[in-house]
Amino acid sequence: MSRLTIWLILGTTLTFLIGPFLIVIFAGASAGEALSFPPQGLSLKWYAKVFTVESFRASFALSMFLAIFGTLTALLIGIPAAYALNRYNLPGAEAIRTIVAAPIIVPGIIVGLALLRYFVVPLDVTITMALFVTHTALVLPYAVRVVSSSLNNLRADMEEAAVILGCTRFQAFVKVVLPNIRGGILAAFILGFVTSFNEVPASLFLSGPGVRTLPIDMLSYMEITFDPSVAALSALLAFMSVAIVFVAERLLGFSRYV
Amino acid sequence: MFLNRSEGFALALPAALFTCLVFLVPVGILLSAAFQAEPGVWSLQGYVDFFSQPLNQSVFLRTLKLGVLVAGTSAVIGYAAAFCIVNLPASSRGRIFGLVVLPLMISPVARTYAWIVILGRTGIVNDVIVGLGLSETPIRLLFTETAVFIGLLQLFLPLMIISLVSAMENIPQDVVPAARVLGASWFQVFFRVILPLTKEGLVIGGTLVFTGALTAYITPAILGGSKVLMLETLLYQKVNVSNDFVSASVIAMILIVMCFSANLVLKRIASVRS
Repeated sequence: MSRLTIWLILGTTLTFLIGPFLIVIFAGASAGEALSFPPQGLSLKWYAKVFTVESFRASFALSMFLAIFGTLTALLIGIPAAYALNRYNLPGAEAIRTIVAAPIIVPGIIVGLALLRYFVVPLDVTITMALFVTHTALVLPYAVRVVSSSLNNLRADMEEAAVILGCTRFQAFVKVVLPNIRGGILAAFILGFVTSFNEVPASLFLSGPGVRTLPIDMLSYMEITFDPSVAALSALLAFMSVAIVFVAERLLGFSRYV
Repeated sequence: MFLNRSEGFALALPAALFTCLVFLVPVGILLSAAFQAEPGVWSLQGYVDFFSQPLNQSVFLRTLKLGVLVAGTSAVIGYAAAFCIVNLPASSRGRIFGLVVLPLMISPVARTYAWIVILGRTGIVNDVIVGLGLSETPIRLLFTETAVFIGLLQLFLPLMIISLVSAMENIPQDVVPAARVLGASWFQVFFRVILPLTKEGLVIGGTLVFTGALTAYITPAILGGSKVLMLETLLYQKVNVSNDFVSASVIAMILIVMCFSANLVLKRIASVRS
């Protein structure tokens, strides 16, 4: 194949994948009142407006809370599980692995509906708590998988040496294992954060009045309003994700872990 | 390997218990509701009722059709793109690959919203159509199957490209030139060399794209609306509009069965070809 053909194919594919974002960025920078492209004059007023919409601020805060604390909780129970699955010859390890991985296999909307009907309602759990639990469950498979592959690359003799030299098992874990899988944990956190922050289907049924994650708030906002502010917000969210991934890639070669 | 099993179980227990409690049990009860037309009475009546309505039938078939179309199209584009990426010099390969992966990190709502700007009444495509005089008034492009198809394709194409790139990286470098030198046409090279050597990647990518398209909610919700329902948006309507939980559980069961059988069928196809 000639170079021209190669770049023609890649150029078309990348335009299809990335072009729409560039359009959203400009559509959000319109000076006009209605969504259009090319924009009617340039201004940053819609980008500024995004920050003044009360419901966006509340739902952004909720999404941040869920993404940060949901992922931290998933790591808190996921790291020991990954460690147990890698280092102990557990009978039924495969079954445990499947159980923990199940939440990504089942479509999110089913998870949300099931939790609403058979967890939230009978146990009288608050919506925020239900969202927190759901996001933790959805992030847990990623946490276990990424930390597992990190542990896989770390030879077990180092911990055994530490134990022989007088450490307790726990000390060996904290002093030898943790520092060595730091990169994997950080990668798992970023992956979990992005997954949770962008999640929609599972949270759909778990939204009450005033309690909504940002993506769901955007969905309902765009049903009633047709101004460029959603385009501006979409562009801002895209920038945020790209920045996070870019920094992660520079700092620790994120893509090695995913 | 440590031999203290109870210690190992104690470490794995919180995660396993948590998933069982907040995930497996509720989903299990929901799916069992699909077999109970009335609480406590086991029957397949829910399925009979569901498939007896023409609307539900057409939504089911549309979901299946879009899933197949999106998976098939992304396989074709994916092979072309992956082949190009693998043949790039190492320096630009990483960068181009990064650009392919990038969209996966961005909110699907933002990714889908872009198509409203492009396909809407005052969007670029309609500007061009009206500008060229192909039509007097803007054409309805949103809320059509085509719009949903385009949205889904853009959303899931990266997964196919990633799977195929990693499959192609494992092909020994001189196999394709060797086949060419021995007189194979590009058509033969693809079907007799590349395809057999990458079918595992194709199965993984195909499963990811197909199940992703079946279970996508955002794209049909934004670009299809209530005019072009798919199973996920229909499920949402059954719950929030008509309060019909039996149908909702039936749809849930159908979606899960479709996802798992897609994986099995694709694996079967891969093993038959060899």
